[in-house]
Amino acid sequence: MSDIFPKWTNRLPLMALIGGAILGVTAVAGSWYYLTPEYSRVGYQPTQPVPFSHAIHAGQLGLDCRYCHSAVDQAAHSNVPPTSTCMNCHIQVKSTSPKLEVVKESYESGKPIPWVRIHQTPDYVYFNHSVHVNRGISCVECHGRIDQMEEVYHAKSFSMSFCLECHRNPEKYIRPVDQVYNLGWEPEIAVDSELDGSAFIDALKQEQISKGKELVEHWDVNPPTSCSACHR
Amino acid sequence: MKNSDLNPMPKPSNNSSQSGPTYWRSLDQLADTPEFQEWAQREFPAGASEMNDPFTRRRFVQLMSASFLLAGFGLTGCRRPESRILPFSKHPEDYIHGEPDYYATSIPGKTGSTPVLVKSVDGRPVKIEVNPDHPAGISGTDAFGQSSILDLYDPDRAFRFTSKGAGTDRATVMDKLSAASKKFNANQGSGLFILMESSAAPTRDRLVKSIQSKMPKAKICVFDAVDTGSSAQGAEIAFGSRLAANYHLQSARVIVSLDNDFLGMEEDAPRMIRGFAKSKKAASPDDPVSRLYQVESVFSLTGANADHRLRAASSGVIQVAIDLAEKILAAKSGAGVTGLASALSRVKAAHSGKDGLWKSSSEWVSACAEDILSREAGEVVLMAGSRQPAEVHALVHALNHLLGADKGLVTYRSVENLANQSISELVSDLNHGSVDTLVILGGNPAYNVAADLEWSKAQSKAGTSIRLGYYPDETTKISTWGIPQAHYLESWSDTTTADGVWTPVQPLIEPLLGGVTEIEVLARLIGSSETDPYTLVKETFSSATGELEIEESWKKALHDGYLEGSASAVETELQPDFKAVANAVESADFPTNPLSSDNLEVVFARDYSVDDGRYNNNGWLQECPDPISKVTWDNVVSVSPRLSRELNLKNEQVVEITVGGSTVSGPVWIQPGLADFSIVLPLGYGRELTGRVGEGTGYNAYTVRPSKSPNFAVGAKLKATRQTYELATTQEHGSMEEGGSFMQGRAIIREANLDQYQEHPDFASRMGMEAHAKNEGSLYENPLDNPKYRGLHQWGMVIDLQSCIGCTACMVACQSENNIPIVGKAQVRRGREMHWIRNDRYYTGDIEDPQVANQPVACQHCETAPCESVCPVNATVHDEEGLNVMAYNRCVGTRYCSNNCPYKVRRFNFFDYNQRPLDKLYWGPLAEKGMPDLLQMVKNPDVTVRMRGVMEKCTYCVQRIEQAKIKQKSIAKDSDNIRVPDGTFTSACAQACPADAITFGDTADPESEVSKLKEHPRNYALLGYLLTKPRTTYLASVRNMNSNMPGAAKPASFKEYEEKNGDPFAHHGDDHSDHSESHSDTEKKGAH
Repeated sequence: MSDIFPKWTNRLPLMALIGGAILGVTAVAGSWYYLTPEYSRVGYQPTQPVPFSHAIHAGQLGLDCRYCHSAVDQAAHSNVPPTSTCMNCHIQVKSTSPKLEVVKESYESGKPIPWVRIHQTPDYVYFNHSVHVNRGISCVECHGRIDQMEEVYHAKSFSMSFCLECHRNPEKYIRPVDQVYNLGWEPEIAVDSELDGSAFIDALKQEQISKGKELVEHWDVNPPTSCSACHR
Repeated sequence: MKNSDLNPMPKPSNNSSQSGPTYWRSLDQLADTPEFQEWAQREFPAGASEMNDPFTRRRFVQLMSASFLLAGFGLTGCRRPESRILPFSKHPEDYIHGEPDYYATSIPGKTGSTPVLVKSVDGRPVKIEVNPDHPAGISGTDAFGQSSILDLYDPDRAFRFTSKGAGTDRATVMDKLSAASKKFNANQGSGLFILMESSAAPTRDRLVKSIQSKMPKAKICVFDAVDTGSSAQGAEIAFGSRLAANYHLQSARVIVSLDNDFLGMEEDAPRMIRGFAKSKKAASPDDPVSRLYQVESVFSLTGANADHRLRAASSGVIQVAIDLAEKILAAKSGAGVTGLASALSRVKAAHSGKDGLWKSSSEWVSACAEDILSREAGEVVLMAGSRQPAEVHALVHALNHLLGADKGLVTYRSVENLANQSISELVSDLNHGSVDTLVILGGNPAYNVAADLEWSKAQSKAGTSIRLGYYPDETTKISTWGIPQAHYLESWSDTTTADGVWTPVQPLIEPLLGGVTEIEVLARLIGSSETDPYTLVKETFSSATGELEIEESWKKALHDGYLEGSASAVETELQPDFKAVANAVESADFPTNPLSSDNLEVVFARDYSVDDGRYNNNGWLQECPDPISKVTWDNVVSVSPRLSRELNLKNEQVVEITVGGSTVSGPVWIQPGLADFSIVLPLGYGRELTGRVGEGTGYNAYTVRPSKSPNFAVGAKLKATRQTYELATTQEHGSMEEGGSFMQGRAIIREANLDQYQEHPDFASRMGMEAHAKNEGSLYENPLDNPKYRGLHQWGMVIDLQSCIGCTACMVACQSENNIPIVGKAQVRRGREMHWIRNDRYYTGDIEDPQVANQPVACQHCETAPCESVCPVNATVHDEEGLNVMAYNRCVGTRYCSNNCPYKVRRFNFFDYNQRPLDKLYWGPLAEKGMPDLLQMVKNPDVTVRMRGVMEKCTYCVQRIEQAKIKQKSIAKDSDNIRVPDGTFTSACAQACPADAITFGDTADPESEVSKLKEHPRNYALLGYLLTKPRTTYLASVRNMNSNMPGAAKPASFKEYEEKNGDPFAHHGDDHSDHSESHSDTEKKGAH
């Protein structure tokens, strides 16, 4: 009679409780992560209609970002260049390359090249490029090392906390305005051969913060952190 | 308000200090009816949060659960969809995506245009602003100007060429035009009739003249539903030539307006408002302040702003004018003056036979005349309204000359009259079958020609009728050919402002629906080789400048929005012909029977929302409350309180009005301040064929409008019926009174007389609760006393109630800037209108003849905002620069904030007003979703379009603030020059205000305009005693009363304030005993 429910079944409710709790936490944490831009956007790298390489143009050739994205320091939106900008050079350079077929066709027909959008803020966010690049926030802070990307991918999460991290601690990211488009810029530190990798990085960070604090003070940088900054 | 069995009309009583409220918004409030009590005490009006009709709550739940079930099947693909970026292939020069461009153009008007700057984003015009550099000196537009952008994107506008109502193509109609042109060029225009509206358009005039010279037999008829030509006709009598009078009020000391609504529905209102507001600014107590005397039958916006208002029937205004003229002439001498004076006495003797016929208001007129005569030459100006006949205008022109007003307060310039036929002549020609081709440019004669002329029948007798029209309306329906008209933002044209300055009309966008302009139709009719409006306008410009090489000056004129030095010559040395004036007055029409409740006068008025019907399909205007009655979406039959008592009428009761055999019925609106036996029928409603917005609104007053006396008619009868018609009025919405009833010393409106202001410049701070509380210091420091905001700028606003005239331009400007939806009549009745800024109108004093006070109220941006502390989700919080901001994405729609807001300025999206048709709001998911493409284009891309279930309110135009800050920071680069200079930008309401009553800026900058105004002695905070510390404050208004005027020693409001709360100029704080009694008395009343 007593064997219908063996003794271990006494622990069943407890096990179910713990198991359920673990399952619940995993499910919540999992879907939480799944729904953040950290998961959903970072690494997004669609195939573009033209295999344009930023690594060659911005990296090797050293074209300034503003050669193509000419409105970035004047407007809220940073423009994707018109086909005519490509053809400024490619009317002569590599003019027969098959990779440029789509570009040439667009140039002749007047139809736009359908680039696939990678970076996007939601409709209720009013991000402004010009104020960031004019006040010492480099492209690299949001877009990563574009100058090293063969094909552009989404490098940072663009979540609200991502924005706020910088708005709360601008000294960690700010740099002289003439270095904004130099994506590889690092603060200068006295080279100390004894510093190993991580120590060197720490020193860089220290230098950035102390230099950044100076800039923040001199330029009266006071990034807004309230809702009205981005939501209107 | 539901109709009650009680007549809400209170008995007029003199002991108002004992029982009546100081300020009242409606008759229900004055009578303190149970309906008003209930309305005012409820947080939201009855049924506001219930799904009542046409679905029951149960049905709603059924539908919703079904739709949730269905929604589950559709929940696939939660990934963000792939989207594309499509850059130009070749980039247009100077174009930056998302950055606005501004173009100078102008809004055509009948006698003059309004010069504007139009903001265009990515190729679509989105906002109308005034052109501040134009020499017309206008500082804002009116509500019509602001809302004209919505007409551009009206999905119901005409979009196809029609042949007898059926669609056809452009080429066919254009071929018809050139065929007609050939024919009439050959026969000198015999049988060609052109009907158009008046317009100050040089190119159009040039083309009309060219028609007249090439086709001398062609007839031109200029017809306006509401004619504004009587002033020029009056000048023709007085001076012998057709002249337009142009008033410059800024230096006037006394303005006498005879039935002239120059602040409202007369032409060129924005410029007149500016001049009027300047003349009474009272920046310091020593500044001269103008005084406005108004004589009128209707209660107009101008009457509401008058220091002294005389109620007189429109038909009796001529009597007042003669009485006034007699007194003035008696003090003047000169050739012809005595002759005119004796002619006036003869007229008076001849027409005052019956008792009470010559409406005597001698005390008022004497006091007014005495005031006029005590002033120096050139300080007084008289004006007559276009409703008044030419004889009154002639008399006014003559008096203005005698008073020296023509030395600067009024200037004259000659105007042409191109018409050679009147509308009744045209109708008789039509009926005789002598019209071969009738070309109708604009207008809408089938709707707005007086019914007794039977236009539709007449037009059907024309051989061919060609109609250029903006809407597929009543006239297009009966015309042989229909041509869609282009909006002024799609057209090349030109205009002149009231002073004759050449002003371009340039397009910001290609005609969206293939519209054609008036001048193109005329050019094709002439058969000229050049039909391109751009070239035609440029040709006119070339002849206006008189230069051969015009390219540079043309570009400059387009850029500036005017041609420098092109103002018309001002006529000087004008001598009125007193004899002609006397003759005209002697032959004028005078009432033959005294008015009474069975011999009523009917006044036909342009409507504050739809004008003569042209804005009937404009939702912003339809929902913008009438500035006086606060009725939306309908026109009413306004009757005076006395008439309503005599005939036992109630609000919303349907009555039949019979004028000369025709009858129309409409809902009664008891309008305090109306002349006793005048009833007002606003025009422009009851359209047979209009768009989806205007459909089913109001009744058509044109059907009883006699062609002989189109402005007012005597001998009307009013018959009550047992029906009622629901009206949507906002006059009781947003009530800030405690217990709903009384202001109870809250002193929401503060005003004083000019001498009180001069004696006590700080009178405003002596009124109201703050002044009564004795400051004994507090035991503990209140952290809310000095809230700290660390931002560099601290935004604030000052609204000058002395300048504000209550025109509602700010409401529409805000609607345009901030993507505010319209909600429809049914929702307005429930108090759900979405206007972020409302314009409160308070009556005060006698209900037969009240004074009016206006107050625009938007979110006050309280530093210690009561709404913030009750939001459970932190959706409304403060930012570092003192704005009370709304994060729409956080809002879950509890509406606690709205409940806790003492100013009642928060607006809740009960429905998806932007996405659902307004007549199907209760259909839920069964109604179609989405905005028409055209309507999407009117939205400001810098402002979020809100959805159902979120709260919204005034943001101080946060998008403009942020853009200005960003621009300044972009300029600053690596410097600390990041403070936005004062005057760089302003809020939409302040920018639109034609009276310059609103000032917005940075209060942290002591040199800013707004900081200086905050230091002004008349500055006060609304409900300041609640310690909400609002960032918006008001400047109390000052009335400039004539102390000799009977019963007008103090503003009615001030007097009543004093009776209730004691003399505000007595010492405060330590002697509370004298009025503590009256306070407790009112408190008791508030508690019931």
